[in-house]
Amino acid sequence: MKLTATEEGALDIEEIPAFLFALLQAVPIRAASSDPRVENRFFPAPAQDELLVEDWKSFVQPELQAAFLSAREVVQADLRSASELKEGFSMEIPPNHMDPWLGTLNQARLAIAEENHFGEQDLSEEISPDTSDPRSISLFQINFYGFLQECLVKMQD
Amino acid sequence: MPFVDIPEAKTLEKTGLAAPWNVVVHNDPVNLMSYVALVFRKVLGFSKDKAQTHMLEVHHKGRSVVWTGGREKAEFYVQQLHANLLLATLEPAPQDK
Repeated sequence: MKLTATEEGALDIEEIPAFLFALLQAVPIRAASSDPRVENRFFPAPAQDELLVEDWKSFVQPELQAAFLSAREVVQADLRSASELKEGFSMEIPPNHMDPWLGTLNQARLAIAEENHFGEQDLSEEISPDTSDPRSISLFQINFYGFLQECLVKMQD
Repeated sequence: MPFVDIPEAKTLEKTGLAAPWNVVVHNDPVNLMSYVALVFRKVLGFSKDKAQTHMLEVHHKGRSVVWTGGREKAEFYVQQLHANLLLATLEPAPQDK
């Protein structure tokens, strides 16, 4: 897989192997998890004040839900524009899509961690992907998405 | 017409600054350190160094007070931090006696 920061500020990702492209296509899907644990992590209580928590659920949470959905839609559209070449898949993340990608990758990482009860120790394990082991795939997925996040953060530095 | 004795109305005035609130960011094992620092810069307008200092405080001490001030703005910052999926809360700032 080849990553290039273009002069226009986009991130070109080329020669993506089919396995990694499948993981990229899973980003918005994993991010849209409906697991109650994920829901709790995405929408944490802002304070101990019960009144504020209720107001937050009524007024702030719908706004956050809409923002998360909108970011996932941007990512989905970029993935749909990917092309399949002889060397692998190829796609571009334009400069104005960096934030939606950062956010959606983060949503996906948090969702996978919550669904699998991953803690600090699991996340610091050195792993090599074993396609027959769902835990190994999930850990690899979190690390792969983390690597892409690091690239996007560096581009914004 | 009977004479009614109307008591003199008095208004009690109390002035003072509203109590300040802290915006606190809590540690979580999934968010990348570089991502947390970037969010601090974007949402709170921190310099690179200040963002790094608070990010490390979150990482090592489990929490960091990233802003103190009026409640409305504190709520706004917590909302922005939640929009970036950071664990943030607001709590009354301890008052000096």
